Formats: sequence, structure tokens, C-alpha cells
Amino acid sequence: MPQAILQRDRVWELLGGPLSDSALEEILSVSKAELDAQDRATLTVSATPDRLDLLTEGGLALYLAGATDRAKGLPPARVVEDAAESLAIDVDPSVRSVRPAISAVVVRAPTDRTLDEATLAEAVRFQELLHATVGRERRAASIGIYPLERLSPPFRYALEPTRGVRFVPLDGSDEVGADAFFRDHPHAARYGSLGWVDERCLTIRDDQGIVLSLPPILNSRTAGEARVGDRELLLESTGARERPVRESLGLLLVVFLSRGWSAAPVAIRSGSSRISDGRGVFSPRAIDLASATLRTLSGTSYPSGEVERRLARVRLGPRPHPGGWRVEVPPWRPDIQTEVDLCEDVILAEAIAPADGVVPPSATRGRRRPETVFRRGVAVDLLGLGFAAPYTSVLVSESAVRRVEGATPIRLANPPSAEFAFVRDRLLLSHLEVLARNTRHGYPQQFGEVGPVVVPEPGAESGATTRYHAGTMIARDAAGFADAAAVLDYLFRAVDVVTVREPCEIPGTIPGRAARVRVAGEAVAELGEIHPAILTAIGVPVPVAWAELDLSRLYPLLVGPDTGL
Amino acid sequence: MPGASDGAPDGAAPVSLSGPERSVLVALRATEALPIEEDELASHSGIPLDQLRGSLQRLRAKHLVVVEEEHETTRRLTPRGERALEVGLPERRLLAALERQGGTLTLEGASTEGLDEEERSAAIGILRRRGWLEDGVPFRLRASAGAPPTLLPEEVVLKQVANGEEELDEAIVGALERRTLVRTERRSIKRWAPSDEGRRLPLAADGAEMLGALTPGLLASGGWKDRSFRPYDVRAPVPYLSGARPNRYAAWLEEFEELLVGLGFEQAEGPVLETEFWNDDVLFMPQDHPARSIHDSLSLAGITGKLPPADLLARVAAAHEGRPLPGEATPIGPGWGDHYDLAIAARPVLRSQTTSVSARFLARHPRPPFRMFSLDRNFRREEVDARHGIEFTQCEGILGGEGTTLRDLVGMFRALAEGIGIREMKIRPSYFPFTEPSIEGYVRHPRLGWIEIFPGGMLRPEVLRPLGVEVPVAAWGIGIGRLAMVALGVNDIRELFEDDLARLRGEEG
Repeated sequence: MPQAILQRDRVWELLGGPLSDSALEEILSVSKAELDAQDRATLTVSATPDRLDLLTEGGLALYLAGATDRAKGLPPARVVEDAAESLAIDVDPSVRSVRPAISAVVVRAPTDRTLDEATLAEAVRFQELLHATVGRERRAASIGIYPLERLSPPFRYALEPTRGVRFVPLDGSDEVGADAFFRDHPHAARYGSLGWVDERCLTIRDDQGIVLSLPPILNSRTAGEARVGDRELLLESTGARERPVRESLGLLLVVFLSRGWSAAPVAIRSGSSRISDGRGVFSPRAIDLASATLRTLSGTSYPSGEVERRLARVRLGPRPHPGGWRVEVPPWRPDIQTEVDLCEDVILAEAIAPADGVVPPSATRGRRRPETVFRRGVAVDLLGLGFAAPYTSVLVSESAVRRVEGATPIRLANPPSAEFAFVRDRLLLSHLEVLARNTRHGYPQQFGEVGPVVVPEPGAESGATTRYHAGTMIARDAAGFADAAAVLDYLFRAVDVVTVREPCEIPGTIPGRAARVRVAGEAVAELGEIHPAILTAIGVPVPVAWAELDLSRLYPLLVGPDTGL
Repeated sequence: MPGASDGAPDGAAPVSLSGPERSVLVALRATEALPIEEDELASHSGIPLDQLRGSLQRLRAKHLVVVEEEHETTRRLTPRGERALEVGLPERRLLAALERQGGTLTLEGASTEGLDEEERSAAIGILRRRGWLEDGVPFRLRASAGAPPTLLPEEVVLKQVANGEEELDEAIVGALERRTLVRTERRSIKRWAPSDEGRRLPLAADGAEMLGALTPGLLASGGWKDRSFRPYDVRAPVPYLSGARPNRYAAWLEEFEELLVGLGFEQAEGPVLETEFWNDDVLFMPQDHPARSIHDSLSLAGITGKLPPADLLARVAAAHEGRPLPGEATPIGPGWGDHYDLAIAARPVLRSQTTSVSARFLARHPRPPFRMFSLDRNFRREEVDARHGIEFTQCEGILGGEGTTLRDLVGMFRALAEGIGIREMKIRPSYFPFTEPSIEGYVRHPRLGWIEIFPGGMLRPEVLRPLGVEVPVAAWGIGIGRLAMVALGVNDIRELFEDDLARLRGEEG
């Protein structure tokens, strides 16, 4: 879960007073946030990915105020209605193919305050957290924070040739050309591909042509650095699509609006037309909640007024509405998109106890899949024959595959390690590993397992099918083909089928000592003696007989095609 | 421990005696004065001593004879010791020479007194250690030493050894042995007698052959009648047998299945290899969700997937894009606001959650009410440690029908916890992209404290409606491996993938 370290004093200040450690832990224990650690100065908090607002001092204070009945409903947010017409971003059509989405908002400090160090620090920290989460490492959204007082709106968002772009990077002191920036700067190496194409790069400039930033990579130092003492900030977000762009800005707003700052809209324009008046970024959204939906999901009929009380407690703005409620949702709650999301806030506003659950009487008949029952039966047969029962992984190692010349299992495109590099198509691959790992135990050894394998099949939906095999290994003096054949013979007799053995070549076995077994013309099993080159390589000093039965092929032959999953 | 011979009467080998062994045992049993020394038995029986000794050892291994062993120690003078007794010890001879020469003797003078170089060195060393001789050459008697004793202790012991006395000063004997004047000889005397078994062992009359294996031929012919069977050596090693036991993890999973079956759930299965459509899209996981990146999910090389049926695909795509489902007027919700990418939908991936099995089950439009479970393997590109593996088992469950609510889900968590003996549990809010509300059930582990076990929630409309399901559905996906760790007392999740044959056979803890 995402995590943040918050300043304890700042949370108490915004809450209007401190909470005891136990009270804080109790409140958070029924929330989507968790107190991972605390000391005298800080609170280390983690939260589920849908409640990033709880990872800010302001957002957490808002939540705690509701939970302790110090405040309820939407927090008062001041909106500057007389926003200047010039507060706008003109979007050049050139950005469409690269990074089309952009939103912005202006935040203003209360008249008696300016941007202080703690607020700036939290804004920058939360900006980075948003980049990593909602922003998908800046691909989906990245945020810029600028000192509006030192800029000249309107602004222009465009894709322009790099040779004409010069700016002072936020972490530098000298002006550089964009060509050099993209060639040399570590941020450009990491995020450059998101804002550069064919010798052109994304820029945001003000009306004087001053570069604010090269989104989504880095702000300019001269025009794009917010400082302590600033009173007006421009917050913008660019990205591949609208939703994360809007959500990231909405979440960032909680840092400022929870501290009494006001918001003003920034219009988004394209040519002569206005794409957005910018109010959607900070205005609460109204979502209707039908009482029937709430009842259906919760299984509870809430008494009159209880739903409003619960919603107000989690700092939403409910009011009665025909058939239910209309709820105002602040911009830092992007997790609430539909009425089922509101249901969650109602239901989970207060703790759920296990005793609240009801074990519904069963109107259904429980049963295992018949094919699974069949497979279990085979596993029991193997146990009865004295085969030890390992439980092995479907993923096998590079070396396990390499030792069986001619094996063709599916390779992972992004293996986490050489140990987990292939998906086995035969239990044989896993079971040779078992033999190799058990050489210290002496002989005889015999083991068998029923487990899944994945076999390439071009016609299948995922390009392969999952099958269940029963595989056995017999390692002892004089173990041979007949031993493996006898095991299969026993298993086939148990299901009363007639089989035909035919010679064939199977990777990993001694040529001339391997066979395929058919039932009604279908190949359902393979067997053979393991090649001495393999035994030598894995240190097994006795001959090994191997048999493997494809239960997924055999079962339909016994009962007809399985129509289940 | 397997392999012990006790308690294996049927498999024990018969007591088989060779001819010489039999002769020796017969001779022993015929001897009155027992136990008897080997030499004596050899002379009585006429069996060559070497052969007798071998047969006795083999009879002893078969527990048919017992032996008393006595060790005898004898001291003898060596030729050098005999000479010393005769002409005197070198130190005595050097003392005598010194006295003869007035207390002083040159190196050459010592040689002429009949002492060879070795004797001279030994004598000089002894006399100097005892303080009778001064350092340096020529050799001088120390004036303060007084008169030498008439009999040195070594001379006393030499005489005692020569006389065959047994009470000796062992320290001086040791010194004389080191000077190769005395030799100690130790001899083992073995006296043999038949053991109780050896006395009881039936020995066929001369010329009659004892029966070994009871064969079908003997049974059919009755040839076993009037003949005795060669007895077994019940202590002989027996063949090594290994048993097979159910795999404890697999057995535990089966028990959990029993619990679910008892609660009215039917089992479903799905493919290990899925397309991203079934693994993620149909569950309303955004196509750019971090869990779908190459850092978290496992994709395959060299195979291609196919899209699902067009009508289902269109409905899922509409839910993702926030458009109304085909034939409907309003969207379910805003969706993810992105273009739904068909190429991503068709990509094969190793199943990362068995929720895909639930989705496939729901796509078949089961008649409500329904309860389904799946207990199967999943794969995530995790850092492997004691609690996380790349391959893990999940228990997926859904219950749906008119009136199914979150309370049913909480009740089911409680029933499952109680079913495996867990009483203490708590519920916390949680988050999963495909459920709303989402909760997580924690159980109290005596050692690990509260651990998250039961994640679940009510499936979102964005999941249910494209699948054509019109009733509420509660769903969960339990990390069953973690639960198994608690139940089986396993501290490392990797131990659940057990392939150590000794442990699987119950031979090692």
C-alpha cells in the first residue's frame, strides 16, 4: 500500500486539537488507512490505493474530524468566482498525438497567509506520490506547481521544435537548450519519451513566452518554482487521458483547500473554442444514491437520517433526493464514481463486526467437479502403490528444460529468474528436478503426482491449454520400462479401458525404450526409461522408469466431453 | 527406523550353516568342559585351527556361540636385555670403568671399556641425569654424588623379568621397553561355548538335508513332511520398504474444499494460462493498472491469444470506456476514460488471480442462487520470501442471488474461519478494483498477530452487467497458502511446495 510520513503537529493543527495514540489507532483501524509507525514528531500512514487523500496531513485531518464528530459534511471550500478571463491554457493541436489531456486550477492563500514551508513540502511530497500512483510514473498524469504571481497568463501548451526551446531546469542554475537537456539530464533519460517526439518537445509557456516547464519532465527554475511566501499557485496536470489528469489535480487540491486556500478555475481552450471552464477540477460532483441499491448491497435497512449521518461523517455532502440521496463528493475523492462507491462509504463509515454477518442458509448443493474427483482417485491410487506425493511448481527452471534435449515448454517472456523461466508441459520436467534434489536419500525411490501442465495449442483462446497429468518416477536397481508400463497398466485397469502401446521417441528417454499409449486412438500416456545422460547429469546412480498419464485427455474418453469449466 | 530386523519374522533369513560351521557347533555341543580354548577344541575335534577360528567367528555372528575373552600379558628380556643382565647395564659398566680409572675417563677410554657408541651415549645420559657424572669431556665422577648404589632399580627389574615375576615397577618396565631391553607380549585367550540358541538349534541327522524355502512344489508333493526346516536368523537385515503418505498441503487443501462443499459451494476450474481479457479486463481492471505491468504479471513468449466472443467483448469494452452497454441508453459508470485496447485484451498471461475462474463461471449465466469455489494456482512476479511466492494457491469463491449482500459475505468469512478453528476475527475496509464495497477479514494468529486472510467484496456492476448477471454477487479470493501456513505450522510459504522424499515418506520431521 502507498505510504506517507506526516507531521503529527500539522495534522493536529488542521484537526483543531490532538488525539491520543489509542484514539487515533482505533479510528484508523476501521478506515482504509493504517498507522504503520509513529513517533513524537511523525505519523507513518499507509492507505489503500483508492484513498490517497488520507496520505496528506489535510486529508487525514478532514477524515479524523468527521470520525471524532468535530466536523461533518463537505469542508467549506472558497471558490474565487471573479476569476480573470485570462486564466486559461491554450492547447495547441500538436499535442494531441503525444499527451493530449491537460487540466489546471489556481489556488490562492487566505488573505492573512502565504505559502509556508510545511504546505510547500507536503505539496511537493504528495505530487511525487501522485506521479507514482495515479500518474503511473507520469505516463498517465504528471503535475506541475508554479508561482502564478511571477507568470503572465494565458498559457500555451504545445509541441514545439526543441531547437527553439531554452530554459533553466528546476535543479540547475544555467539556461540550457532543450536539445542538450534531452541529451544530458537524468530526468529526461527517465521520462523524456513521454514528452519528446521527432525533435519536438512539449512545453508550457506563459504569455511572455517564458517556459514554465517541459511536461511531464521538469519545471523551469525561473518560472516554474513555487517558493515560501508565494500567494497564488497554478497547478496543472498533463497526461495521456482526462481521468487521471483530473483526479491527480483533485487529490492535490486537498493539500491546499484543507488549509483554507481558495480555488479559481483555469479554462482550457483550443483555438477559439473553450474545451472546459475549469470548474470541474475543484467543484464537488453530485452523485445519486438510490436507497434500494444501498439496501441490496448492505443487507441493512438504515433508520431515517442514518445514511446522511454516515455520509456526513466521512466528509461527503448528502441531502435527501427522490428515491434516496444526492451526495456531493469533493475532488479529492476520485474513488467515488457511482452509487455503489457511495454505498461503500455508508456501509464502512462505521466498523463492521464479524457478528454483523449472517451465514445464509444454503439453497445450493455443494459438489466437487467430477473430473477433479477422478483426478483425486488417481492420486489415491498412486499413494496405494507406494508412490510418495510431492507438490511441485508449474514453473520450471532454465536448467531443467535444458537438460531434456528436445523439450519445448512455453517460455516466460519476462521470467523473474532462471529458476522460474518456463511453464512445464510435462510433469517430467519437474520430476527430474525432484530426483536431482533427492540424491542424498538413497534408493529405491518412487514418487508420483497429479498436477497441472500447460501445453501449447494454437487454436485455444490463450494459445495453450491447461491439462492435468499423473506422473510417476521409479528409481531403483533394475528399474525399467516394464515397471513404468505396469503402473500405467494398473491405472488403466482401474478405469477399465483397453490400451495400445506403440513405440515412439520422447525427449529425455532412451531411444527404443519409450512408448505412447493410446485409448480409442487418442494418445493419453507416455512412458520410458530416462536417458543415462540425464541421470548422470543429475547424479542419480540407478536406472529410472518414468510414466505420465494425461488425465484431461483420458477423462472425456471415460465419461464424454466435460461441459464444465 | 525402517530397516531394523526385529519384528520381521516372515522376512527373516533361515539360519544357514556351512559344513565346517556345523562341524564346529557339533564339536562344541559334544564338549563337556566348557568353555574351551580354541587350541584345545582344535585338537579334540581334529578341525584345523585356522578353519576352526573362522567357523567360530561366523557362528558367533549368528548368535550360536558365545566367547569369553581373556588377555594375558608376558614380559621377556630381549637379547640386548639378556646381555645387560649378563655383563651389566651400560651405566653400570661406565661407572665401573670410571672407578677403575680413578674417577676420570676420556672418550677413547670409554670405548676401550667395551661400550659401543649407543651404549656409551645412553650410559652418559643416565648418569648425568642422576647427578653422578659432571658435564663435559673427559668424563668425571661428581665428587658430591657419593658412592653409586650396589644395585640400580633397572638392574632389579631386569632380574625380576628374567625370573618371570609379575609384580613389577611399571614405570621402570616402560623405561626398559623404550631401551629395547624388555619386551611385553600380550595374548588373547578365547574360550568358546555354544549359546542357548546354539544348543537349541536343531541340527539334522547326518545325511538329512534341512528344508529352506517352502515352495509350491514342496506343498504340492508333501515333501516337507518328516523333514525339519532350517531356522531363520531373525536378526538378519531385511529389505528396505518406503511407504507413501498423502502430501500434507494437498490434503489440507482437500479439507478446505470439504468445508466449502459442505457450505453448498460447487467447484469450478479455469485455465492456468489466460488472456488478459479474462484475467483482468472482465474484472474491470484498468488496462494500465500497475498490477498488469511486466513487473507484476508473467507473460509468455511465442504464443498468441484470441479475443473472446464479440458480444461479450463489446460489453466489457463499453464498461471500460464508460459507454452504455450495447442496446442500453446510459453507461454503468464513467469507466476508465480510456480507449479499450483489443491487442492488450488478447495477450496471454499466466493467471494472476482465480477471480478469472469466477468470471468464466458467471459468463455461463448460472441460475441464481449460486455458490461457486475454485482452489487453484496463480502466478505473480513477486519478490520471493517467506510469505510470498511466484506461484501460489488462491481459494476463490462467489455467492450470488436475489438478496445476497455484504452481510452474507461477512457471515461466510466467519463460517470459513470457524470451520478451520479460528474464532477471533475482525473486518476492515479494503480496496479491490472489481468489488465495492471491499473488505478484508483479519484473523488472530497466536504468534504472528493479526494477519489478513479473507479479502472480498460485492462485485461491481461494471463486472456483473457485461457478463449478463442481474443479481448481486459477493466474491472473495483467499490467499490459501498463508492460511495453510498457520494451520500446518509452516514458517515459509515455499515449504508448501514439498519435494523432499524423506519428509514426504514421513521419515524426517
